[in-house]
Amino acid sequence: MEANKVNKIIDADVHPWINGDIKGLLPYLSKSMQKVFDGRLTLPDHPLRPPLEKSTSIRLDATPPGGGAGGSDPIYMREVLLNRYNIEHAILTSVQAGKIVVYPNPIEATALARAFNDYFLNEWLTLDSRYKLAMCIAVHDPLKAAEEIRRIGHERGVVAVFMPLFNILMGNSYYYPIYEAAEELGLPILIHPTGTEGGFSTSVSMAGGVPSSYIERHTDFPQIAYGNLVSMVFEGVFVRFPKLKVLAAEFGYSWVPSVMWRMDQNWRNFRKEVPWLEKEPSKYLLDHVRFTSQPVEEPEKGKYLMQIFEMMHAEKTLIFSTDYPHWDNDFPDNTFTTLPEPVKQRIFYDNAAELFNLNKLEITR
Amino acid sequence: MAFCIGELSHIPAGKALITEINGTSIGIFFEDGEVYAVRNVCPHKLAPICEGAVCGTMLPSKPSQFEFGLEGKVLRCPWHGWEFSLETGEALFGISNRKVKTYPVEVKDGMIYVEMG
Repeated sequence: MEANKVNKIIDADVHPWINGDIKGLLPYLSKSMQKVFDGRLTLPDHPLRPPLEKSTSIRLDATPPGGGAGGSDPIYMREVLLNRYNIEHAILTSVQAGKIVVYPNPIEATALARAFNDYFLNEWLTLDSRYKLAMCIAVHDPLKAAEEIRRIGHERGVVAVFMPLFNILMGNSYYYPIYEAAEELGLPILIHPTGTEGGFSTSVSMAGGVPSSYIERHTDFPQIAYGNLVSMVFEGVFVRFPKLKVLAAEFGYSWVPSVMWRMDQNWRNFRKEVPWLEKEPSKYLLDHVRFTSQPVEEPEKGKYLMQIFEMMHAEKTLIFSTDYPHWDNDFPDNTFTTLPEPVKQRIFYDNAAELFNLNKLEITR
Repeated sequence: MAFCIGELSHIPAGKALITEINGTSIGIFFEDGEVYAVRNVCPHKLAPICEGAVCGTMLPSKPSQFEFGLEGKVLRCPWHGWEFSLETGEALFGISNRKVKTYPVEVKDGMIYVEMG
């Protein structure tokens, strides 16, 4: 097969790992917080594990030569991901950090988020400027989360705010201090499955009930983005925060046309419930929300995907991602190979560059 | 031409007087001293819109705020709730470009005259 011709690539969903969970974070926690976590240094796992070797979502073959989990060695990842695929910017989102939503205690979760951020700023971003960080926040205390955004949101290489979700929909005013800070710093909000959904009392519930296998919960991920984006649009978040952008990473996207149509249809019927909307609901989605490509959806016929791209305005809304080093990762050499060049350029680079302000970043930071 | 469809006093309070002119069902409304004639067909799914409520609605507002207005100026379809201006027939606040058909109407000596082409 001929290699895919892509000139410039931004990978919007890359997962670094810290060996030992909180043990690996100890140098980045205060002495007091080290004592708080004494004896419980492992972040909890969802009981429904991937039915893969070692029950992990991390590829076995991504294990660095020096050992440790796949994704834990920034030098090795530089070699096998950035250099190999000629990736200009890789957005680091720690799903490991996303597990903080299982902690009911806001002090602990806030301290962990801060430690994760300092770890990646110090150990990854300083190593290679191609690494960019979606800084993590603990939504347990939105005011503290906003403080964290203002603490490091201006740092070189911080390009987004990763918001691991509680079981509170994103349109709720609970989150507004976070949106205010993110908008102020010009950082998009990034949401991503945390792997805790449906498994813990504080984490996001799945619609209809509790899935009983990994295949179910993985298939159901889009529900989470669906419900949260509908909530944001109708609660008027994008009217209140007109510069706010959102990236829905790894939630799929073939459902996007459907949700746009349903929102618009219901708005024509029940506009009076949300009189603050200044335009059709789907327009807010198209103007403010972006979606990552991985895992590339596989409809019955390849042409259906192109039809969905047209319906969801993929040339504007879709952003390439690998999801390295997870089992279902996609790579540039065999992804979207038949797309017309201008659309490919938008998906592999331009849409992400605009969302993360990457070109401006190089000039001003 | 103008069709006389009856006495103003025959319009029930808060409801349309529904009648037919040349096979076309229309509703006559009398609200706050104003008389309106509306074709009894919603442009959305052809519902008998004149059987819907005459009401007000929420005006464009800031997030999390409600401002009720247009009392007696809004016709709300009984099926999907689409709201139209009784005065112009236009769908309200940009929900659609489709209009409900309205007709010029006049009251002379207590009798209602509807102009239909």
